[in-house]
Amino acid sequence: MDAPTPALQFVGVTKSFGQVSVIRGVTLDVPAGERHAVIGPNGAGKSTLFNLVSGLFPLTEGDIRLKGRSIAGQPPHRINRSGLARSFQITNIFHRLSVFENLRIGMLARHGIRYGLFRPVARLRRINEETREILSLVRLDARADDMAGDLTYSEQRALEIGMTLTTGADVILLDEPTAGMSRDETARAVDLIRDVTRGKTLLMVEHDMSVVFSLCDRVSVLVYGEILATDTPHAISANREVQQAYLGEEAAP
Amino acid sequence: MRTPLLIAAVLVLLAGVPPFLDLGLQNALVNVLIASLFALAFNLLVGQAGLLSFGHAAYFGVGAFATLHLMRVVEDGFGFPTPLLPLAGAACGLVVGAIAGFFATMRSGVYFALVTLAIAELFHALAPRWQGLFGGEAGLSSMRMPWQGVTFGSTLEVYYLALAWVVVSICLLWAYTRTPFGRLTLALRDNEQRVRFLGYDAHATKVIVFAISAMFSGIAGSLQAMSNEVANYSLFSSHVSAQVVLHAFVGGSTVFFGPLLGAAVFTLFAYLISDLTRSWLLYQGLIFVLVMLYAPTGIGGVVQYHARHWQRLDWSRLAGPYALGSLGGVLVAAAAVFLTETLSVLFDEPYAVARRDAGGAFPPFAAFGTGWDPLSPLTWLLPLALFGVGLYVLTRARRAIGEEWEAIRSAPTAAAAAAAAASRAGS
Repeated sequence: MDAPTPALQFVGVTKSFGQVSVIRGVTLDVPAGERHAVIGPNGAGKSTLFNLVSGLFPLTEGDIRLKGRSIAGQPPHRINRSGLARSFQITNIFHRLSVFENLRIGMLARHGIRYGLFRPVARLRRINEETREILSLVRLDARADDMAGDLTYSEQRALEIGMTLTTGADVILLDEPTAGMSRDETARAVDLIRDVTRGKTLLMVEHDMSVVFSLCDRVSVLVYGEILATDTPHAISANREVQQAYLGEEAAP
Repeated sequence: MRTPLLIAAVLVLLAGVPPFLDLGLQNALVNVLIASLFALAFNLLVGQAGLLSFGHAAYFGVGAFATLHLMRVVEDGFGFPTPLLPLAGAACGLVVGAIAGFFATMRSGVYFALVTLAIAELFHALAPRWQGLFGGEAGLSSMRMPWQGVTFGSTLEVYYLALAWVVVSICLLWAYTRTPFGRLTLALRDNEQRVRFLGYDAHATKVIVFAISAMFSGIAGSLQAMSNEVANYSLFSSHVSAQVVLHAFVGGSTVFFGPLLGAAVFTLFAYLISDLTRSWLLYQGLIFVLVMLYAPTGIGGVVQYHARHWQRLDWSRLAGPYALGSLGGVLVAAAAVFLTETLSVLFDEPYAVARRDAGGAFPPFAAFGTGWDPLSPLTWLLPLALFGVGLYVLTRARRAIGEEWEAIRSAPTAAAAAAAAASRAGS
């Protein structure tokens, strides 16, 4: 083959809920190492697309390939083990466990300790060390022993990103990681995401164009379940069609 | 630390005291041990995995029947050591639990609870009709065989055997919480979806938790079979399933040792009260409702709450309101008991006979060691007064306790105070 296998491929992906088709034939290649944003108006199907990739919903038609291998129809835990991890738009953490524990759960999965019943978790030195590394990567060292439910909103978002990293996936899906954050918090989150996704493939849903500009290599615009355009952030923002569809529908004639 | 000392003290008491107790109490203590293990095994599922089973009698019963079958074989000359009989209960509990759990954990919440209930009912309906496996309606019986010079004839010997098994099982259940899988169990309770997206097969995980819980329930059932030397289909009844739910929640399902407290308290309560009154199940139900309403974290939760704030508790200020609250509680309880017992006498057969003999009048009746006139206002004013005064005292005490706790909670922690002092010293 000439081109290297893309990290993530959508091939004519379609999803209908009953009569309503939400995703209508999405075809997209995300090369390994790219940071790719999906933007689009509310209800365009961005979150549905994520739910299809991560295995929450089955596809209606088409195929999704992770590093060349089809993952369509697989349950979430298999897709995760194949190297794809996601975060959630609504913070999805273990509220009643400590921050450290939240991260360690994923770390245990990464090392294949899924049914570890015969030794105390405190003795797994390597896992605890690597968990600490992720902890400092997402800058939550000081909150290691606090309940995750007691963290501030932006700390919980950082934890969410940290959990996505723990399983060692090299394809990361972030669903609106900066939603609901202040300007400062957003700036910090962008730095954090840039740090932690170095060398990995990133697919993210994002509303904030400044985030997209500063983070992403390419952008896809999703409108009514179809990809309108895929290009660099600059080209996209100059695209007349995109402007009409997304950036200012009311302003369009 | 205090905790290991406390546990050591409890163990010493459990090992040292029973020889000096009468047979009835020894038997009651065996039941306490069995109920405690059953409640802790059950709580592995409900407290740690967040799966509320309404049919845990199934695995308790399976453990009991498996053990009785093995005991019968041993009786016929098979050389299996008597102290290891509960292994049969453990093995069968594990296997049956894995199969039942496979189906039950396909669903969660209400549907999970209903499936577990249905599985227990299935056993309950099958057992009386299945002569070979469950001994029909009469059930199975056997004898404990001596082993290595130990006869296992006395209740005391059974007690020590049960104690050993229960202590080992509880240690294992405690160790479970420290393993990676134990942590995963807690994560599963918090957020099953996230567990799946971290690469875990949530269904397989739940089946394993279910099977382990059933295994320890099977050990508890085993000990029951060994203690009673009989088992019949009533072990599968919903009463047994409900009892363990009650124990776990009154004891406090959020605290590891909570269910043990609930089981101990209720089993001893049943032993002490059931001889005195036929209404003891009503009292048990009342206690359950009151605990759920006013202390939903159970006995264990209340104890843990005090332990957590221990450093900041000023008993000289708390003791008064607590004593007052207890007094109020006793008064209200006295009123409730008086009414219950009086009504149960008045609506009972003997009193109806007495009325007929008295020509339809209301003759005096005996209760609490004295005679009462059912038509005297005094008879009914007494409980009303007790209730009113008790309620008043209780409300006052509750307010005072609330204020004390407000002060305790808002006070800075010792650690924070020390840190503040250090920073002042540094600046």
